[in-house]
Amino acid sequence: MKTELHAIQAEALAALKDVKTPDMLESLRITYFGRRGKLTDVMKGMGKLSKAERPEVGKLANEVRTTLTAAFEETTHTLHRQQQEQQLEREAVDITLPGRKPAYGKAHPVMQILERIEAIFRQMGFEIVTGPDVETEYYNFDALNTPADHPARDLHDTFYLTDGHLLRTHTSPVQIRAMENQQPPVRIIVPGKCYRVDYDVSHTPMFHQVEGLLVDTHATFSELKGILTAFARQMFGDQTQMRFRPHFFPFTEPSAEVDISCTVCQGNGCRSCGGSGWIEILGAGAVDPAVFEAVNYDPGEVTGFAFGMGVERIANLQFRIPDIRTFYENDLRFLRQF
Amino acid sequence: MNVTLNWLKNYIDFELSASELADRLTMLGIEVESVKHPGAELEGVVVGCVNTIKPHPNADKLVLCQVDIGKTEELQIVCGAPNVREGMHAPVATIGATLPIGLTIKRAKLRGETSHGMLCSEKELALSEDAAGLMELSTDIPVGTSLPTALGLDDTVFELEITPNRPDCLSLIGVAREIRAETGNPLKLPHVDFNEDETDIREITSVTIEAPDLCPRYAARVIRGVKVGQSPAWLQQRLESVGIGVINNIVDITNFVLMEYGQPLHAFDCHKLAENRIIVRRATAGENITTLDEMDRELTSDMLVIADAEKPVALAGVMGGYDSEITETTSDVLLESAYFNPSSIRATAKALGMSTEASYRFERGADPGIVLAALNRAAQLITELAGGSTCKGIVDVYPGQQPLTEIQLRPERVNFVLGTEIETVTMVEILKRLGFDVETSGRGQRVTVPTFRSDITREIDLIEEIARVYGYDNIPTTLPKGDIPVPAPNPSAAVRKCIKHSLLAAGMMEAINYSFCDPNCFDKIRLTADDPRREVLKLQNPLSPEMSGLRTTLLPSLLENAQHNRNHQIDTIALFEIGNVFIRKGAEKEPERVTGILAGQVGEGVYSNPYREPDFYDIKGLVERILEVCGIVDYTLEKTDAPTFHPGRNAAVLSNNKRIGIFGEAHPEVLENYDLPYKAYLFDFDMEALTDAAIFAKCFEPISVYPKVERDLAIVVDQAVLSDMPTELIYKTGGELVESVRLFDVYEGEQVPEGKKSLAYAITYHSATETLTDKAVNALHSKVVKHLNQELGAELRM
Ligand SMILES: [Zn+2]
Repeated sequence: MKTELHAIQAEALAALKDVKTPDMLESLRITYFGRRGKLTDVMKGMGKLSKAERPEVGKLANEVRTTLTAAFEETTHTLHRQQQEQQLEREAVDITLPGRKPAYGKAHPVMQILERIEAIFRQMGFEIVTGPDVETEYYNFDALNTPADHPARDLHDTFYLTDGHLLRTHTSPVQIRAMENQQPPVRIIVPGKCYRVDYDVSHTPMFHQVEGLLVDTHATFSELKGILTAFARQMFGDQTQMRFRPHFFPFTEPSAEVDISCTVCQGNGCRSCGGSGWIEILGAGAVDPAVFEAVNYDPGEVTGFAFGMGVERIANLQFRIPDIRTFYENDLRFLRQF
Repeated sequence: MNVTLNWLKNYIDFELSASELADRLTMLGIEVESVKHPGAELEGVVVGCVNTIKPHPNADKLVLCQVDIGKTEELQIVCGAPNVREGMHAPVATIGATLPIGLTIKRAKLRGETSHGMLCSEKELALSEDAAGLMELSTDIPVGTSLPTALGLDDTVFELEITPNRPDCLSLIGVAREIRAETGNPLKLPHVDFNEDETDIREITSVTIEAPDLCPRYAARVIRGVKVGQSPAWLQQRLESVGIGVINNIVDITNFVLMEYGQPLHAFDCHKLAENRIIVRRATAGENITTLDEMDRELTSDMLVIADAEKPVALAGVMGGYDSEITETTSDVLLESAYFNPSSIRATAKALGMSTEASYRFERGADPGIVLAALNRAAQLITELAGGSTCKGIVDVYPGQQPLTEIQLRPERVNFVLGTEIETVTMVEILKRLGFDVETSGRGQRVTVPTFRSDITREIDLIEEIARVYGYDNIPTTLPKGDIPVPAPNPSAAVRKCIKHSLLAAGMMEAINYSFCDPNCFDKIRLTADDPRREVLKLQNPLSPEMSGLRTTLLPSLLENAQHNRNHQIDTIALFEIGNVFIRKGAEKEPERVTGILAGQVGEGVYSNPYREPDFYDIKGLVERILEVCGIVDYTLEKTDAPTFHPGRNAAVLSNNKRIGIFGEAHPEVLENYDLPYKAYLFDFDMEALTDAAIFAKCFEPISVYPKVERDLAIVVDQAVLSDMPTELIYKTGGELVESVRLFDVYEGEQVPEGKKSLAYAITYHSATETLTDKAVNALHSKVVKHLNQELGAELRM
């Protein structure tokens, strides 16, 4: 009987090596462990053994059983692993097939720039306020120290409505509206649409400006330089050089036009900057006392400064669109680029 | 305005190079728009003398010239010009020179004879269109002189942008004054000295000012016996160098003095003035004048004219009259130098659509103090260059003389406004260099403003002068010290931001359209005749009829955007715009709207994400997303008869019984009107209404630890039953134990009787306080089924 047990073990272990499928394994299991299995038969024959033989053979039988059970288990695992490997191989995908991208839209390029400008000034404590596009002569010109026969009005090419209103030529009227509605300190920026009768590759009849105004008991021209320098360094990079040139605006005095070092040539001179190394980005100045008088602020008590910039112009420093009218065609091939 | 470097140096000495000067002027506020060297193109072209001419042995039409260009050896040059002759002076382009027409001169053999350069015509030098023969140069010019020098082109021309507040800079002397402020060097004003004759001007003419409000000063001189002709070369060159055309010596001199002093002058033919006298008056209504440009102009009674005893002879400060102009036969000249009221000149020039060198200066404000100096300078030049003699004396009528402006300047105020620490002596020095008189007065400075600075009336004006000459670059850069104001809450900005971000996240691209609209666009979106959106604000001066109104709705422009994209074969159209419209209703009102369009196809058209046509539920989904991000849960939908939309496929969104927007499929006629070959879906919301309805306050709701139970329920109902009716009933019946109801299938067709449809819901039951037993859920579910049956006739579908 001992011999028989040894033979069964050797035979079963050999047979397991040839097992390729779970079905084969199962039939082999039945061959040995089934109700009529070979090992089962041997175990059943245990009863016929003598009392003396029984412990020894019983021990051996148990050992064989344990060995074979472990071997069957291992084969089960191996088969499972093999099967899984085969399945994973079958499941391999073509990684070059296109992904299923979630749709996403993009803000209009002018809005992207406008939002950046707003964010920089908000961080410096400026509040965003807005005003109407349809304005009166008073807010657009008179209150801004630009009376009817002022030559500066020629520079504006204003759209007039048939009812006598006009489309604001700049966002500056909101300065007046804001000061009429609040007492100093004032620290606002005014983004918005403006309009001028102009239509060519570098002008659209509607464009966007951001106006800024700071009024306080002690706001100085040096602070205007500080604010605008901080803005430009954040907007155009911390290496940006600034140039403040005297200029004329009816509603600021002293007034300045502000240049930054050319973003293309870093100030060395190139075609973008006409060789000068400088690019004009905004107009600014200390608030003219006449403007304070128009809103009943006492020019002896408060000082302030204002600035204004064209968003399309700043956008185009980056985008370099040859014909800026493209901004407002809303061609999706264009909008997707930004 | 143009000025040249050499000309400026007549009025002030300075050591600055052209580019340094351009820089300094720019930093003083006179922007230099361009710097040109007109002579640079003619480098290598010199004055030569044709000494001898021999025939060309191999060509009839060519000759061999020996040309002296001031070198030891003469050059042999082959020439074919008909006017070439021995002894003539002509331009010679030497070997290596590149002419403005692009030709580079090389040693060349012409029919076997070597040519060591080229004799040039004016056309070859791009000086004129004259190609008939060689350019003749005066034999006074020494051979070897460079042609730019010979022609006075050896100069630098600056194109200046003078801001409207600085008419005093519209002259050479004005710009020289700015250079004085920069360098401190003294001005060199022209030395004016000439003899008058014995005849008193008052015996010949008189000046009467009938409108002293419009003409504060009028001065005249008479020069008799002039010979009208060409100006000398230097004068022509001066004028041409700054872009002023030459006419005749008298007119050229007035233009020269205009450029020199900035004072517009006018010369009349004295004999063409009735009674030889001048009356400055308003025109009478209906009066006419033919101006120098030979245009007949009808005048109104608010226009100022210079008249003789009978009729207007000049449009004051704008343009002279044709009938009294200087001609070749003029012998006696009446020279006008005046100061006119800026507003009046501006109004007249504007009304007549004219802009001249004179009106440009007068309307910005000329200098009443320079009237006589300019007049004398012109008289001197006329006497020198056109002969004639100047009558004794000046008629100077000056009813509007004003005392000089005096301003008290507080040096500490200057530093307060600028944020600087400029010394008072520096301020005083700057102001003096600019031509102001400054005296210490009390604790400040008493500043007297010269007549040429009419723009300076207040202390702040002086502060600006000090700042710009001190240099903006020298003003420190500091950050504001003041308090940061607390911004007011801005709910509409928050709503706009949420909506915009959710639409972008949903794949919609942001558009911006012009605020203009075509007042006829409303037919294209089928608005009814009485729709208030047809009431459009109109422009007086539109760019085109299609842009003559202000938009009242964003729908047409988005449909046009779709059309534009379709025309360019882009069919994945998903656009939105957030923008204002213009409603004519009492006070100006510009409500903001958020409007979108979905058309063509959605998806990417790739294996993993194929194209499909959008449908009603795509646009509805976008709207639901907008409402969701605004926290608007309490809303209802209702179908509308809005004519822009498909009558069966649109809905208005109501919040608090107020319509806040609409969405749906565009009406087929609208699609046709915009040439869209496929359906388009639109939404259009009022931002203010969305803002009013929005609820951003959010409160934590406990997350239940108890399991939920999901039951599916398929029912068959009449087609008239809308899908949300069972939904609402389920919520109502189940009470707070119903967590959610999700419609996952809608089916009509086989196995469902005619006129019926099958709706399948997944109901999630859930309690916040206990684990629901099967028994409890079954009881509740049965109750739901029973109510659906009783109230909606719903049959359970197995
Ligand atoms: Zn550059």
